[in-house]
Amino acid sequence: MTARWFPDEMPMPAASAETAGWWQAAADHRLVVQRCLACGATRHPPGPVCPRCRSADAELAVLPGTGTVYTFTVVHQAFIPSLGDRVPYVVAAVDLDGAGGARLVTNLVDVAPEEVRIGMPVTVAWEDMGPELALPRFRPVQEPR
Amino acid sequence: MTAPGRRAVIAGAATSDYPYLPEHSEHAVHGQAADRALADAGLTLADVDGLATAGFFPMYAVGVAEYLGLQPTYLDETNTGGSSFEVLVEHAAHAVEAGAAEVVLVTYGSIQLSQMGRRLGTGGGGGGGIMPGPAVHDALWGNTLVGNYAMAARRHMHEFGTTPEQLAAVAVTMREHAGHNPQAQYRDPITVDDVLGSRLVADPLHKLDCCVISDGGGACIVTTEERARDLRRPPVYVLGASHASTHHLNLSAMGPLTTTAAALSGPRAFARAGVTPADVDVAQIYDSFTITVVLTVEDLGFCAKGEGGAFVEDGGLGLGGRLPTNTDGGGLSSCHPGMRGMFLIVEAVRQLRGECGRMQVPEARVAVAHGTGGVLSTGATLVLGREVP
Repeated sequence: MTARWFPDEMPMPAASAETAGWWQAAADHRLVVQRCLACGATRHPPGPVCPRCRSADAELAVLPGTGTVYTFTVVHQAFIPSLGDRVPYVVAAVDLDGAGGARLVTNLVDVAPEEVRIGMPVTVAWEDMGPELALPRFRPVQEPR
Repeated sequence: MTAPGRRAVIAGAATSDYPYLPEHSEHAVHGQAADRALADAGLTLADVDGLATAGFFPMYAVGVAEYLGLQPTYLDETNTGGSSFEVLVEHAAHAVEAGAAEVVLVTYGSIQLSQMGRRLGTGGGGGGGIMPGPAVHDALWGNTLVGNYAMAARRHMHEFGTTPEQLAAVAVTMREHAGHNPQAQYRDPITVDDVLGSRLVADPLHKLDCCVISDGGGACIVTTEERARDLRRPPVYVLGASHASTHHLNLSAMGPLTTTAAALSGPRAFARAGVTPADVDVAQIYDSFTITVVLTVEDLGFCAKGEGGAFVEDGGLGLGGRLPTNTDGGGLSSCHPGMRGMFLIVEAVRQLRGECGRMQVPEARVAVAHGTGGVLSTGATLVLGREVP
């Protein structure tokens, strides 16, 4: 088992009726977004009904797992004590390709914080947290040389 | 149409002691602020029939009513975070204008500094365990409250060329104002270099880009113009008010991070007041972080979108500047007990009554108090005036 990017004391997500499918897909290393079957609008986090048309019919559409950095911050002061040794780390809002504008707050890994740029293309980097949980962090897409 | 004489006014306003109240309970801060606001108006608790307050557990107003010995027939405990007290005054204004209440006490008390210490500004919550609810989608990445505002700041810099120096200018001006406020938590002058040289909390926001953490509270009395006529203080009119929420609690569900709920609440409040941003003499704008002020001056229409950085630099928010703002020193230097909105209202009232001494904006006739709550989640605008335009 590889070392985790964050310490074990980090809070773990508790799936709700609305988010269980999203987390199940993540455990299988599939990045998905909830899409309304009535009007096609996407939403994240997953919710019970479409905020645009109120339909409860939705699917989890599989995404290519790539995206673009919309914005980011380098966290230098964490609020969870055990993260104090992990700073600085990058929290980013990533516009997901093929997701109809849906955005994911996540971490950028395998990149020096000072090299992160808005508009940087990124791809998902799954981290297995246990048999039933994986987190979609992102890393820069390697530029062809 | 409001009945003659029933137009809503603020007839009294006061802050409690601040910024450090280790001997006080939260209720005691409410009590001190309420007593002072009532005395300011020339009223007593026996005159109060409405209570409006916001806190962080259910039935909060009921608990405050018990402590104050009130049996209110109008109760409001709407919590929209830092904008709560602007919303509560808007509601109270509607209530008195509709005849549902005569004298509403709007009160705030917090001992956040004494109770929780200084770590709260980075986002609250301990470590470990299971994280329920929708907020997990932002929090499990080690994101912080400051981090959310930092991401908005980063995006604003990217789109509009806003600089760290421009953000720092907000903190410098607030500290200059705090130097004239004997109660302010931090009063020693700072420079742009001091801000940029303070440690990064969440890049690009430094420690001095972030509000202080304080104990304190405040209160104001909302009643009708007619009721205020024989009271101690000149009335301050609630000319217009509006509030809005642009997204959910998760930053990931917010659209563009460079436009806030102020873009919805501001124009509606100005229209109801019958004034424009150009008519505003003094502003009290929620300054949880320096970027909050830059976004808000744009969204309220004091300058165009993207020009907020240039608007706030070179003393733009100082006395004699483009828009004298946060004349008490703001949350960045004076006092921020968690939900600062009440302090904005009290300072706006003092400006309109001409009580601000060295920080008085000459002939201030129209003031704006604008609160921001959550992670740029809510905005609430009050337009206040010395007379009805």
